[in-house]
Amino acid sequence: MSSFLPAVAVLLVALLCLDLHSRVASAPICTHGPSGCHVLSLADLFDRVIQHSARMHSLSNDLHSEFEQYFLPSKNHIGKIYHKCHTSSILTPNGKENAQKLAREELTEVILKLLMAWRDPLFQLHQSMAHQQDFNSFSSNKALEMGDMAHELRKGVEKVAERMRVLGMLGNSVTGLSAAEAMLPISDSGEAMSNYELLYCFRRDSNKVQNYLKILKCRIVPEHDC
Amino acid sequence: MRSCELTHLSHWKSLPHMISPDQCNRGPVQFSLPVSDPSRGPHFTGCRSREQETFRCWWSAGIFQNLTEPGTLRVFYQTKNALSEWQECPDYTHTVKNECYFNKTFTHIWTSYCIQLRSVRENITYDETCFTVENIVHPDPPIGLNWTLLNVSHSGLHFDILVRWAPPPSADVQMGWMSLMYQVQYRVRNASHWEMLDLESGTQQSIYGLHTDKEYEVRVRCKMSAFNNFGEFSDSILVHVAQIPSKESTFPTTLVLIFGVIGLVILLVLLIFSQQQRLMVIFLPPIPAPKIKGIDPELLKNGKLDQLNSLLSSQDMYKPDFYHEDPWVEFIQLDLDDPAEKNESSDTQHLLGLSRSGSSHVLHFKSDDDSGRASCYDPEIPNPEDLAALLPGHSGRGDNHPLVSRSSSSIPDLGVQQTSEVEETPIQTQPAVPSWVNMDFYAQVSDFTPAGGVVLSPGQLNSSPEKKKEEENEKKIPFQLVSDGAYTSENTARQLSADVPPSPGPEQGYQTFPTQAVEGNLWNGEYLVSTSDSQIPYLLPEAPPVPILPPVSGYTVVQEVDAQHSLLLNPPSSQPAICPHSPNKHLPAMPTMPMGYLTPDLLGNLTP
Repeated sequence: MSSFLPAVAVLLVALLCLDLHSRVASAPICTHGPSGCHVLSLADLFDRVIQHSARMHSLSNDLHSEFEQYFLPSKNHIGKIYHKCHTSSILTPNGKENAQKLAREELTEVILKLLMAWRDPLFQLHQSMAHQQDFNSFSSNKALEMGDMAHELRKGVEKVAERMRVLGMLGNSVTGLSAAEAMLPISDSGEAMSNYELLYCFRRDSNKVQNYLKILKCRIVPEHDC
Repeated sequence: MRSCELTHLSHWKSLPHMISPDQCNRGPVQFSLPVSDPSRGPHFTGCRSREQETFRCWWSAGIFQNLTEPGTLRVFYQTKNALSEWQECPDYTHTVKNECYFNKTFTHIWTSYCIQLRSVRENITYDETCFTVENIVHPDPPIGLNWTLLNVSHSGLHFDILVRWAPPPSADVQMGWMSLMYQVQYRVRNASHWEMLDLESGTQQSIYGLHTDKEYEVRVRCKMSAFNNFGEFSDSILVHVAQIPSKESTFPTTLVLIFGVIGLVILLVLLIFSQQQRLMVIFLPPIPAPKIKGIDPELLKNGKLDQLNSLLSSQDMYKPDFYHEDPWVEFIQLDLDDPAEKNESSDTQHLLGLSRSGSSHVLHFKSDDDSGRASCYDPEIPNPEDLAALLPGHSGRGDNHPLVSRSSSSIPDLGVQQTSEVEETPIQTQPAVPSWVNMDFYAQVSDFTPAGGVVLSPGQLNSSPEKKKEEENEKKIPFQLVSDGAYTSENTARQLSADVPPSPGPEQGYQTFPTQAVEGNLWNGEYLVSTSDSQIPYLLPEAPPVPILPPVSGYTVVQEVDAQHSLLLNPPSSQPAICPHSPNKHLPAMPTMPMGYLTPDLLGNLTP
């Protein structure tokens, strides 16, 4: 017994010493900077995120067009083309100038809110499309892909916001990063929204997200004539 | 889609903005608009946005001419998001008739608008439609379209160009508020059909494969990516590249080609003529002349009738010389006789009968067709296969195949007798198939399987007999016969005789004498190719060790049968190619006969 004690003590000390220097944090793989691997600049990050949002919007457009082909709204809908989306409660700038006037933090927050609000509805959309036999596997796969893309995009935007905060471009008033209410897609009448309505709303919102990101990039990363 | 655009173009050429009703767009209509129909009442003819920041709407009074005065028809709009009141058009354009302009303040993207066309005086709503602004965006045409020559093909008939343009100035592409996709179209001037290229997100595109000396028109238009509304086309530019006559460069090439071809042809003709004989042999091989066995073709040609007659009349068809010259003839065999028939053939019966009748073993051979079975066997020698049936112990076999290994008791006798009879060369299994003829009609039966099948061995001599004896018991030849029930007794016989020490001589003691009948039975019409080298232990020859190792010998020709019903084997010759001549001395009186076969007439001439 007595022989063990010094060994154990040595081990403990060693562990403690190690623990002091180790961190459980997501350390970047390249620590050498430019000599090692390539560290993405904020502009690159923005480009990636914008590309991603463009793909997501294109996918939503494809799905929406498919829906329109097969589920053409009847003549009665012409006058009632307005669909109230569940994200209508989020205040979003409705034009280029309005978005440009908005503060960076608020714009970022709006983007994140929108993406967060679509997390569950997209999953529900995929589920309902997969169950319905009217759709071929392509459509339900697209819906699944769309949901994944929205999720990844949200992560990407959070990373961008984090980098902006680190660089001091964002104030600390951004509160919407962590808390986000889960929104249920419920239409006016209280019933769950149909697939077509969901797609219509998401197409609109993905276009919003794409444009907001572009405006944000233009303001944060000074480029030619932006 | 195109028909939509064309009809509208024809109607609204006067307007600065071409109306492209949403009916012409893919997908559902934002408007419930028909084609602008003058026969209808007042209705909206279209709404458009150029840069996603402002938009305009147009209407028409239709047939109601009394309403064409400005101010009688008014536009009211409502933005659905706020559920606001109906408001009147913010700006009726003064310069353009029946146009309502919404500037930046009143334009809300991602918002649903509904507009109504009312006559206030009568309080009638003539038309209503709803839309969202991003869905009615038709970008302006790109500007600054120009082209540069990339290259011209070697033949001078084709060329490639690079077309460049700039995005429309009204679209804010810098910031990315509008991300545009472009489509280039081109056609031969004044042709009816435009060639369309794929959508391009950049501001340049290459066009390949244009013909020189033809004039082309190129134009471009754009749309917002992920939306379906194309804008107007830009003005066409003309592309023309003159053809450069460069025939001088092609002239020597064709000359060289022509001369080269002529030279080749001459060479070929010379070659053919010089090597005519050889080529004739290669391309037109001589047809083999028909051969009649035993008849010298030269004799036929020289045509001495007497000799011919004598030849033909006698049954002397087989002379060793002939065979010597045409060795391949003898081995053409084909034994496709019906096995059942063979079974019933009374060859063995005859043999048995003959043997029982006495020492005058007249072998009764079925008249056999000379299908090449005979090889180097002398004609006087009776068919060894049939002779084998005369072995004692072959009793009650009936139709069975008289294998040599009937009884062990006869073997020593035979061996002894063989040694006495044989002169120079010890008994050897004559190669049924000379090595230079690569055919295996005959196979050595080397072993019997317990099930009664016959295990064959190749007739080639390779290893020492002792070794073979050992391995033969375990060896299994790949080709095995389906056992005939009759063989089981032979099996026992074999087992009995298994103790008999085989002669040290190579494969000597072993012959297979398949009769014709048996052959059919044995092989079902095929010929066995034995592969192993084992030899049957009980096979005869207690022959004295052979000083000279004979080549191959799986087979021996049974020369005759003596009074004790033992087979006298034909000693094989040292050269496989040469037929043994020794038997000749034994039976000089025997007339020449078909090799390997005895006719009934000749049987009587057999003398021990």
